[in-house]
Amino acid sequence: MSLLKTPAITLRSRRWGEADRIVTFYTLRFGKLRGVARGARRLKSRFGSALEPFVHCDLNLFEKANDHLHRVTQADIQESFAGLREDLERMASAARLANLVNAITAEGDQSSRKFETLLAGLRALQAGHDPGLTALLFQVKLLELSGYQPRTDHCVTCGGELHKTGEAKGFRFSPMAGGLVCDSCAWRRPDGGLVLSPGSVAFLQKAGQLTPEALTRLTVAGPMRRELDTTIEAYVTVVAGKRLPPVDFLAAEPREPAYEAKRWP
Amino acid sequence: MSVDNQGLLAQLIRELVRLPGIGQKTAQRLAFHLLKTERDEALRLAEAIRAVKEGLVFCRRCRNIAEGELCEFCRDPKRDHTKILVVEEPSTLYAIERTGGFRGLYHVLLGSLSPLDGIGPSDIRAQELVDRLKDGGVQEVILATNPTIEGEATAIYLTKLIKPFGARVSRIAYGIPVGMDIEYADEVTLIKSIEGRRDL
Repeated sequence: MSLLKTPAITLRSRRWGEADRIVTFYTLRFGKLRGVARGARRLKSRFGSALEPFVHCDLNLFEKANDHLHRVTQADIQESFAGLREDLERMASAARLANLVNAITAEGDQSSRKFETLLAGLRALQAGHDPGLTALLFQVKLLELSGYQPRTDHCVTCGGELHKTGEAKGFRFSPMAGGLVCDSCAWRRPDGGLVLSPGSVAFLQKAGQLTPEALTRLTVAGPMRRELDTTIEAYVTVVAGKRLPPVDFLAAEPREPAYEAKRWP
Repeated sequence: MSVDNQGLLAQLIRELVRLPGIGQKTAQRLAFHLLKTERDEALRLAEAIRAVKEGLVFCRRCRNIAEGELCEFCRDPKRDHTKILVVEEPSTLYAIERTGGFRGLYHVLLGSLSPLDGIGPSDIRAQELVDRLKDGGVQEVILATNPTIEGEATAIYLTKLIKPFGARVSRIAYGIPVGMDIEYADEVTLIKSIEGRRDL
Protein backbone atom coordinates (compact mmCIF):
# COMPACT_ATOMS: atom_id res chain seq x y z
CA MET A 1 0.00 0.00 0.00
CA SER A 2 1.62 3.28 -1.07
CA LEU A 3 0.65 6.93 -0.83
CA LEU A 4 0.18 8.80 -4.11
CA LYS A 5 0.27 12.60 -4.28
CA THR A 6 -0.66 14.43 -7.44
CA PRO A 7 -2.53 17.40 -8.88
CA ALA A 8 -5.85 16.15 -10.27
CA ILE A 9 -9.04 17.21 -12.02
CA THR A 10 -12.29 15.50 -11.06
CA LEU A 11 -13.97 14.01 -14.15
CA ARG A 12 -17.01 12.57 -12.43
CA SER A 13 -18.24 11.68 -9.01
CA ARG A 14 -21.02 9.25 -8.18
CA ARG A 15 -22.78 8.21 -5.02
CA TRP A 16 -21.69 4.96 -3.46
CA GLY A 17 -23.11 3.14 -0.45
CA GLU A 18 -24.47 5.04 2.52
CA ALA A 19 -22.38 8.22 2.37
CA ASP A 20 -19.41 7.54 0.08
CA ARG A 21 -18.44 8.61 -3.40
CA ILE A 22 -16.54 6.91 -6.18
CA VAL A 23 -14.60 9.60 -7.99
CA THR A 24 -12.85 9.45 -11.35
CA PHE A 25 -9.85 11.77 -11.66
CA TYR A 26 -7.50 12.75 -14.41
CA THR A 27 -4.22 13.24 -12.59
CA LEU A 28 -1.00 14.90 -13.68
CA ARG A 29 1.33 12.13 -12.48
CA PHE A 30 -0.68 8.92 -12.83
CA GLY A 31 -3.22 9.60 -15.59
CA LYS A 32 -6.80 8.51 -15.10
CA LEU A 33 -7.62 6.74 -11.86
CA ARG A 34 -10.60 6.05 -9.64
CA GLY A 35 -10.87 6.33 -5.90
CA VAL A 36 -13.40 5.80 -3.17
CA ALA A 37 -13.89 8.73 -0.79
CA ARG A 38 -15.34 7.42 2.44
CA GLY A 39 -17.95 9.64 4.07
CA ALA A 40 -17.71 12.25 1.27
CA ARG A 41 -21.46 12.89 1.31
CA ARG A 42 -21.67 13.50 5.05
CA LEU A 43 -22.35 17.06 6.21
CA LYS A 44 -19.01 17.45 7.98
CA SER A 45 -16.95 15.54 5.42
CA ARG A 46 -13.32 16.66 5.27
CA PHE A 47 -13.52 16.67 1.47
CA GLY A 48 -16.14 19.44 1.28
CA SER A 49 -16.63 20.38 -2.37
CA ALA A 50 -13.13 19.25 -3.41
CA LEU A 51 -14.47 16.13 -5.15
CA GLU A 52 -17.12 17.87 -7.24
CA PRO A 53 -16.73 17.56 -11.03
CA PHE A 54 -14.24 19.96 -12.73
CA VAL A 55 -12.45 20.87 -9.46
CA HIS A 56 -8.65 21.09 -9.78
CA CYS A 57 -7.13 19.85 -6.54
CA ASP A 58 -4.04 18.42 -4.89
CA LEU A 59 -4.94 14.83 -4.26
CA ASN A 60 -3.65 12.25 -1.79
CA LEU A 61 -4.59 8.61 -2.29
CA PHE A 62 -3.64 5.23 -0.97
CA GLU A 63 -2.96 2.70 -3.68
CA LYS A 64 -4.12 -0.77 -2.78
CA ALA A 65 -2.35 -3.80 -4.25
CA ASN A 66 -4.36 -5.60 -6.99
CA ASP A 67 -7.16 -3.05 -6.75
CA HIS A 68 -7.95 -0.38 -9.33
CA LEU A 69 -10.01 1.51 -6.78
CA HIS A 70 -7.76 3.72 -4.62
CA ARG A 71 -8.69 5.23 -1.28
CA VAL A 72 -8.93 9.04 -1.34
CA THR A 73 -7.47 10.44 1.88
CA GLN A 74 -7.20 14.17 1.18
CA ALA A 75 -8.12 16.70 -1.50
CA ASP A 76 -7.15 20.38 -1.30
CA ILE A 77 -8.78 22.70 -3.83
CA GLN A 78 -6.44 24.60 -6.19
CA GLU A 79 -9.10 25.96 -8.55
CA SER A 80 -12.75 25.33 -7.79
CA PHE A 81 -14.10 26.57 -11.14
CA ALA A 82 -17.16 27.71 -9.20
CA GLY A 83 -18.22 29.88 -12.15
CA LEU A 84 -18.88 26.75 -14.22
CA ARG A 85 -21.57 25.73 -11.74
CA GLU A 86 -23.53 28.94 -12.26
CA ASP A 87 -24.19 28.73 -16.00
CA LEU A 88 -25.82 25.78 -17.78
CA GLU A 89 -24.00 26.26 -21.09
CA ARG A 90 -20.56 26.49 -19.50
CA MET A 91 -21.39 23.55 -17.23
CA ALA A 92 -22.46 21.43 -20.22
CA SER A 93 -19.30 22.27 -22.19
CA ALA A 94 -17.08 21.44 -19.21
CA ALA A 95 -19.01 18.18 -18.84
CA ARG A 96 -18.31 17.34 -22.49
CA LEU A 97 -14.54 17.84 -22.00
CA ALA A 98 -14.57 15.71 -18.83
CA ASN A 99 -16.67 13.01 -20.50
CA LEU A 100 -14.38 12.94 -23.54
CA VAL A 101 -11.21 12.52 -21.44
CA ASN A 102 -12.95 9.83 -19.39
CA ALA A 103 -14.16 7.96 -22.49
CA ILE A 104 -10.94 7.95 -24.51
CA THR A 105 -8.41 7.43 -21.71
CA ALA A 106 -7.50 4.10 -20.17
CA GLU A 107 -6.84 3.96 -16.42
CA GLY A 108 -3.20 4.75 -15.66
CA ASP A 109 -2.63 6.33 -19.09
CA GLN A 110 -0.53 9.37 -18.12
CA SER A 111 -0.08 12.50 -20.23
CA SER A 112 0.87 15.82 -18.68
CA ARG A 113 -0.07 17.60 -21.94
CA LYS A 114 -3.56 16.15 -21.80
CA PHE A 115 -3.87 17.24 -18.18
CA GLU A 116 -2.73 20.78 -19.05
CA THR A 117 -5.12 20.90 -22.02
CA LEU A 118 -8.12 19.86 -19.95
CA LEU A 119 -7.15 22.43 -17.33
CA ALA A 120 -6.75 25.13 -20.00
CA GLY A 121 -10.19 24.22 -21.39
CA LEU A 122 -11.83 24.62 -17.97
CA ARG A 123 -9.98 27.91 -17.46
CA ALA A 124 -11.18 29.19 -20.85
CA LEU A 125 -14.78 28.32 -19.96
CA GLN A 126 -14.42 29.96 -16.55
CA ALA A 127 -12.98 33.08 -18.24
CA GLY A 128 -16.17 33.44 -20.28
CA HIS A 129 -15.15 32.26 -23.77
CA ASP A 130 -17.98 30.99 -26.02
CA PRO A 131 -18.87 27.65 -24.34
CA GLY A 132 -19.79 25.76 -27.52
CA LEU A 133 -16.74 26.94 -29.46
CA THR A 134 -14.43 26.25 -26.49
CA ALA A 135 -15.81 22.71 -26.22
CA LEU A 136 -15.23 22.20 -29.96
CA LEU A 137 -11.66 23.53 -29.91
CA PHE A 138 -10.55 21.60 -26.85
CA GLN A 139 -12.19 18.39 -28.06
CA VAL A 140 -10.08 18.62 -31.23
CA LYS A 141 -6.95 19.19 -29.12
CA LEU A 142 -7.74 16.38 -26.67
CA LEU A 143 -8.36 14.00 -29.56
CA GLU A 144 -5.00 14.94 -31.06
CA LEU A 145 -3.19 14.38 -27.74
CA SER A 146 -4.87 10.99 -27.36
CA GLY A 147 -3.64 9.86 -30.77
CA TYR A 148 -6.94 10.40 -32.58
CA GLN A 149 -6.17 13.52 -34.61
CA PRO A 150 -8.28 13.27 -37.77
CA ARG A 151 -6.07 12.95 -40.85
CA THR A 152 -6.60 15.88 -43.20
CA ASP A 153 -3.55 15.95 -45.54
CA HIS A 154 -4.18 12.80 -47.64
CA CYS A 155 -6.94 10.21 -47.99
CA VAL A 156 -6.95 8.31 -44.69
CA THR A 157 -7.89 5.07 -46.47
CA CYS A 158 -5.65 4.89 -49.55
CA GLY A 159 -3.18 7.74 -48.94
CA GLY A 160 -4.12 9.34 -52.27
CA GLU A 161 -4.67 12.98 -53.17
CA LEU A 162 -7.78 14.73 -51.90
CA HIS A 163 -10.13 16.59 -54.24
CA LYS A 164 -12.89 19.03 -53.48
CA THR A 165 -16.20 17.38 -54.21
CA GLY A 166 -19.81 18.22 -55.04
CA GLU A 167 -21.58 21.57 -55.26
CA ALA A 168 -20.27 22.69 -51.87
CA LYS A 169 -16.70 22.26 -53.13
CA GLY A 170 -15.75 20.54 -49.88
CA PHE A 171 -13.91 17.43 -48.78
CA ARG A 172 -15.50 14.21 -47.57
CA PHE A 173 -14.90 13.21 -43.93
CA SER A 174 -15.31 9.63 -42.74
CA PRO A 175 -15.66 9.35 -38.93
CA MET A 176 -15.13 5.57 -39.09
CA ALA A 177 -11.91 5.92 -41.09
CA GLY A 178 -10.73 8.85 -38.95
CA GLY A 179 -10.22 11.61 -41.49
CA LEU A 180 -10.76 12.88 -45.01
CA VAL A 181 -11.28 10.37 -47.79
CA CYS A 182 -10.85 10.74 -51.54
CA ASP A 183 -13.86 10.44 -53.87
CA SER A 184 -13.20 6.85 -54.88
CA CYS A 185 -12.81 5.70 -51.25
CA ALA A 186 -15.84 7.76 -50.12
CA TRP A 187 -18.10 5.78 -52.46
CA ARG A 188 -16.98 2.55 -50.83
CA ARG A 189 -17.59 3.78 -47.26
CA PRO A 190 -21.11 3.88 -45.81
CA ASP A 191 -20.23 6.85 -43.54
CA GLY A 192 -18.15 8.85 -46.01
CA GLY A 193 -20.80 11.48 -46.57
CA LEU A 194 -19.90 14.31 -44.19
CA VAL A 195 -18.76 17.28 -46.25
CA LEU A 196 -16.17 19.67 -44.80
CA SER A 197 -15.38 22.97 -46.47
CA PRO A 198 -11.69 23.89 -47.07
CA GLY A 199 -12.05 26.50 -44.29
CA SER A 200 -13.20 23.83 -41.81
CA VAL A 201 -10.30 21.58 -42.77
CA ALA A 202 -7.87 24.47 -42.20
CA PHE A 203 -9.56 25.10 -38.83
CA LEU A 204 -9.06 21.48 -37.75
CA GLN A 205 -5.40 21.57 -38.82
CA LYS A 206 -4.78 24.84 -36.96
CA ALA A 207 -6.57 23.64 -33.79
CA GLY A 208 -4.31 20.58 -33.73
CA GLN A 209 -1.17 22.73 -34.03
CA LEU A 210 -1.86 25.49 -31.48
CA THR A 211 -0.91 25.24 -27.82
CA PRO A 212 -3.85 24.91 -25.37
CA GLU A 213 -3.31 28.50 -24.17
CA ALA A 214 -3.49 29.89 -27.72
CA LEU A 215 -6.47 27.78 -28.82
CA THR A 216 -9.14 30.30 -27.88
CA ARG A 217 -7.72 32.74 -30.47
CA LEU A 218 -9.36 30.59 -33.16
CA THR A 219 -12.92 31.47 -34.01
CA VAL A 220 -15.49 30.02 -36.36
CA ALA A 221 -19.15 30.81 -36.91
CA GLY A 222 -22.14 30.22 -39.19
CA PRO A 223 -22.36 27.19 -41.52
CA MET A 224 -18.69 26.32 -40.97
CA ARG A 225 -19.26 26.06 -37.21
CA ARG A 226 -22.29 23.84 -37.78
CA GLU A 227 -20.44 21.43 -40.08
CA LEU A 228 -17.51 21.26 -37.64
CA ASP A 229 -19.87 20.57 -34.71
CA THR A 230 -21.58 17.78 -36.67
CA THR A 231 -18.28 16.27 -37.84
CA ILE A 232 -16.56 16.31 -34.45
CA GLU A 233 -19.70 14.94 -32.75
CA ALA A 234 -19.77 12.01 -35.21
CA TYR A 235 -16.03 11.42 -34.85
CA VAL A 236 -16.12 11.56 -31.02
CA THR A 237 -18.94 8.98 -31.06
CA VAL A 238 -16.77 6.63 -33.13
CA VAL A 239 -13.63 7.17 -31.02
CA ALA A 240 -15.47 6.89 -27.68
CA GLY A 241 -17.40 3.86 -28.90
CA LYS A 242 -20.68 5.37 -27.70
CA ARG A 243 -22.70 8.56 -27.91
CA LEU A 244 -21.50 10.89 -25.19
CA PRO A 245 -24.15 12.99 -23.39
CA PRO A 246 -24.94 15.90 -25.73
CA VAL A 247 -23.45 19.35 -25.12
CA ASP A 248 -27.04 20.60 -25.35
CA PHE A 249 -28.18 18.30 -22.54
CA LEU A 250 -31.39 20.27 -21.99
CA ALA A 251 -32.64 18.67 -25.22
CA ALA A 252 -31.64 15.15 -24.11
CA GLU A 253 -34.03 12.28 -24.78
CA PRO A 254 -36.04 10.97 -21.79
CA ARG A 255 -34.73 7.90 -19.98
CA GLU A 256 -36.37 5.07 -18.07
CA PRO A 257 -37.82 6.33 -14.75
CA ALA A 258 -35.79 5.44 -11.65
CA TYR A 259 -38.89 4.66 -9.61
CA GLU A 260 -41.19 1.79 -10.27
CA ALA A 261 -44.15 3.00 -8.18
CA LYS A 262 -47.48 3.45 -9.92
CA ARG A 263 -48.32 6.83 -11.42
CA TRP A 264 -51.52 8.74 -11.68
CA PRO A 265 -52.56 9.29 -15.28
CA MET B 1 -19.16 -20.82 5.59
CA SER B 2 -21.06 -20.61 2.37
CA VAL B 3 -24.40 -21.92 1.20
CA ASP B 4 -24.59 -23.75 -2.13
CA ASN B 5 -26.39 -22.11 -5.06
CA GLN B 6 -29.43 -24.38 -4.96
CA GLY B 7 -32.51 -24.38 -2.80
CA LEU B 8 -34.83 -21.91 -1.09
CA LEU B 9 -32.27 -20.50 1.33
CA ALA B 10 -29.82 -19.76 -1.50
CA GLN B 11 -32.61 -18.00 -3.39
CA LEU B 12 -33.34 -15.77 -0.36
CA ILE B 13 -29.64 -14.94 -0.02
CA ARG B 14 -29.43 -14.05 -3.74
CA GLU B 15 -32.34 -11.64 -3.34
CA LEU B 16 -30.88 -10.04 -0.19
CA VAL B 17 -27.51 -9.52 -1.86
CA ARG B 18 -29.24 -7.30 -4.43
CA LEU B 19 -30.10 -4.75 -1.71
CA PRO B 20 -27.77 -1.72 -1.40
CA GLY B 21 -24.96 -2.15 1.11
CA ILE B 22 -25.60 -5.88 1.57
CA GLY B 23 -22.76 -8.25 0.76
CA GLN B 24 -22.72 -12.06 0.66
CA LYS B 25 -21.84 -12.51 4.35
CA THR B 26 -24.46 -10.00 5.59
CA ALA B 27 -27.06 -11.59 3.30
CA GLN B 28 -26.31 -15.01 4.81
CA ARG B 29 -26.57 -13.59 8.33
CA LEU B 30 -29.94 -11.96 7.53
CA ALA B 31 -31.22 -15.13 5.85
CA PHE B 32 -30.35 -17.30 8.86
CA HIS B 33 -31.86 -14.69 11.17
CA LEU B 34 -35.12 -14.82 9.19
CA LEU B 35 -34.97 -18.62 9.34
CA LYS B 36 -34.78 -18.51 13.12
CA THR B 37 -37.43 -15.78 13.47
CA GLU B 38 -41.05 -16.57 14.35
CA ARG B 39 -43.11 -17.35 11.23
CA ASP B 40 -45.52 -14.42 11.84
CA GLU B 41 -42.70 -11.91 12.23
CA ALA B 42 -40.99 -13.02 9.01
CA LEU B 43 -44.26 -12.94 7.09
CA ARG B 44 -44.99 -9.43 8.40
CA LEU B 45 -41.78 -8.29 6.71
CA ALA B 46 -42.79 -9.99 3.46
CA GLU B 47 -46.26 -8.45 3.70
CA ALA B 48 -44.81 -4.96 4.36
CA ILE B 49 -42.64 -5.23 1.22
CA ARG B 50 -45.61 -6.40 -0.84
CA ALA B 51 -47.83 -3.62 0.54
CA VAL B 52 -45.25 -0.93 -0.28
CA LYS B 53 -44.81 -2.16 -3.84
CA GLU B 54 -48.53 -2.51 -4.49
CA GLY B 55 -50.01 0.26 -2.34
CA LEU B 56 -47.74 3.27 -2.81
CA VAL B 57 -48.20 5.71 -5.66
CA PHE B 58 -46.95 9.19 -6.45
CA CYS B 59 -49.02 12.11 -5.20
CA ARG B 60 -50.88 13.53 -8.17
CA ARG B 61 -49.94 17.08 -7.17
CA CYS B 62 -46.41 17.03 -5.73
CA ARG B 63 -45.05 13.59 -6.82
CA ASN B 64 -44.19 12.65 -3.26
CA ILE B 65 -44.84 9.05 -2.24
CA ALA B 66 -48.52 8.71 -1.28
CA GLU B 67 -51.04 6.08 -0.30
CA GLY B 68 -53.89 7.75 -2.16
CA GLU B 69 -54.40 10.35 -4.85
CA LEU B 70 -52.80 13.07 -2.69
CA CYS B 71 -49.99 12.77 -0.13
CA GLU B 72 -50.41 13.69 3.53
CA PHE B 73 -48.93 17.18 3.00
CA CYS B 74 -51.07 18.12 0.00
CA ARG B 75 -54.18 16.93 1.86
CA ASP B 76 -53.43 19.03 4.96
CA PRO B 77 -55.49 22.29 4.84
CA LYS B 78 -53.41 23.82 7.68
CA ARG B 79 -50.26 23.99 5.57
CA ASP B 80 -49.22 27.18 3.77
CA HIS B 81 -50.33 26.63 0.18
CA THR B 82 -48.54 29.76 -1.07
CA LYS B 83 -45.04 28.25 -0.61
CA ILE B 84 -43.61 25.26 -2.47
CA LEU B 85 -40.28 23.72 -1.51
CA VAL B 86 -38.69 21.76 -4.36
CA VAL B 87 -36.56 18.68 -3.58
CA GLU B 88 -34.88 16.03 -5.74
CA GLU B 89 -36.02 12.93 -3.85
CA PRO B 90 -38.74 11.99 -1.33
CA SER B 91 -36.00 11.14 1.21
CA THR B 92 -34.94 14.83 1.23
CA LEU B 93 -38.55 15.87 1.82
CA TYR B 94 -38.73 13.72 4.95
CA ALA B 95 -35.37 15.07 6.19
CA ILE B 96 -36.76 18.63 5.92
CA GLU B 97 -40.07 17.61 7.43
CA ARG B 98 -38.29 16.15 10.48
CA THR B 99 -36.97 19.63 11.31
CA GLY B 100 -40.54 20.96 11.69
CA GLY B 101 -39.28 24.29 10.33
CA PHE B 102 -41.27 24.37 7.09
CA ARG B 103 -45.06 24.42 6.95
CA GLY B 104 -45.60 24.91 3.21
CA LEU B 105 -46.08 22.37 0.44
CA TYR B 106 -43.49 20.33 -1.46
CA HIS B 107 -42.67 19.34 -5.00
CA VAL B 108 -40.55 16.25 -5.66
CA LEU B 109 -38.63 16.20 -8.95
CA LEU B 110 -37.75 12.47 -8.72
CA GLY B 111 -34.29 13.20 -10.09
CA SER B 112 -32.01 16.03 -11.14
CA LEU B 113 -30.52 17.35 -14.35
CA SER B 114 -27.05 16.07 -15.15
CA PRO B 115 -24.85 17.51 -17.90
CA LEU B 116 -22.34 14.69 -17.22
CA ASP B 117 -24.90 11.93 -17.72
CA GLY B 118 -27.09 13.66 -20.29
CA ILE B 119 -30.14 13.75 -18.03
CA GLY B 120 -32.39 16.51 -19.33
CA PRO B 121 -35.64 18.20 -18.23
CA SER B 122 -37.83 15.45 -19.64
CA ASP B 123 -36.39 13.06 -17.03
CA ILE B 124 -37.52 15.11 -14.03
CA ARG B 125 -40.94 16.29 -12.88
CA ALA B 126 -40.37 19.94 -13.79
CA GLN B 127 -43.39 20.35 -16.06
CA GLU B 128 -45.66 19.23 -13.21
CA LEU B 129 -44.24 22.10 -11.13
CA VAL B 130 -45.03 24.55 -13.91
CA ASP B 131 -48.58 23.18 -14.06
CA ARG B 132 -48.98 23.89 -10.34
CA LEU B 133 -47.78 27.46 -10.85
CA LYS B 134 -50.24 27.92 -13.71
CA ASP B 135 -53.06 27.02 -11.30
CA GLY B 136 -52.10 30.18 -9.35
CA GLY B 137 -51.88 31.00 -5.65
CA VAL B 138 -48.15 30.22 -5.27
CA GLN B 139 -46.12 33.18 -3.99
CA GLU B 140 -42.74 31.56 -3.36
CA VAL B 141 -40.82 28.57 -4.68
CA ILE B 142 -37.86 27.47 -2.55
CA LEU B 143 -35.29 25.39 -4.41
CA ALA B 144 -33.77 22.78 -2.09
CA THR B 145 -31.87 20.71 -4.63
CA ASN B 146 -28.49 19.31 -3.53
CA PRO B 147 -25.44 21.63 -3.64
CA THR B 148 -23.84 19.34 -6.25
CA ILE B 149 -23.26 20.00 -9.94
CA GLU B 150 -26.56 18.20 -10.70
CA GLY B 151 -28.46 20.11 -8.04
CA GLU B 152 -27.06 23.44 -9.25
CA ALA B 153 -27.95 22.68 -12.87
CA THR B 154 -31.48 21.82 -11.78
CA ALA B 155 -31.82 25.00 -9.70
CA ILE B 156 -30.62 27.23 -12.56
CA TYR B 157 -32.99 25.54 -15.02
CA LEU B 158 -35.99 25.76 -12.66
CA THR B 159 -35.30 29.43 -11.90
CA LYS B 160 -35.58 30.25 -15.62
CA LEU B 161 -38.76 28.18 -15.83
CA ILE B 162 -40.46 29.70 -12.76
CA LYS B 163 -39.53 33.40 -13.04
CA PRO B 164 -42.10 34.24 -15.78
CA PHE B 165 -44.91 33.24 -13.40
CA GLY B 166 -44.00 36.10 -11.05
CA ALA B 167 -43.51 33.95 -7.96
CA ARG B 168 -40.49 34.65 -5.74
CA VAL B 169 -37.75 32.07 -6.35
CA SER B 170 -35.29 31.41 -3.53
CA ARG B 171 -32.48 28.90 -2.99
CA ILE B 172 -31.69 27.29 0.36
CA ALA B 173 -28.59 28.83 1.94
CA TYR B 174 -25.07 27.46 1.53
CA GLY B 175 -22.63 27.66 4.38
CA ILE B 176 -20.73 26.31 7.33
CA PRO B 177 -22.38 23.36 9.09
CA VAL B 178 -23.36 24.07 12.72
CA GLY B 179 -20.68 22.85 15.14
CA MET B 180 -17.84 22.97 12.59
CA ASP B 181 -14.61 25.02 12.82
CA ILE B 182 -14.56 27.62 10.03
CA GLU B 183 -10.85 26.99 9.34
CA TYR B 184 -11.67 23.49 8.09
CA ALA B 185 -14.30 24.63 5.58
CA ASP B 186 -13.38 24.30 1.92
CA GLU B 187 -12.95 27.27 -0.40
CA VAL B 188 -16.31 26.99 -2.21
CA THR B 189 -18.31 26.61 1.00
CA LEU B 190 -16.53 29.60 2.56
CA ILE B 191 -17.14 31.86 -0.45
CA LYS B 192 -20.78 30.79 -0.63
CA SER B 193 -21.28 31.39 3.09
CA ILE B 194 -19.83 34.92 2.80
CA GLU B 195 -21.99 35.64 -0.27
CA GLY B 196 -25.06 34.35 1.56
CA ARG B 197 -24.42 36.32 4.79
CA ARG B 198 -27.36 38.03 6.45
CA ASP B 199 -27.92 41.10 8.62
CA LEU B 200 -28.24 40.68 12.37
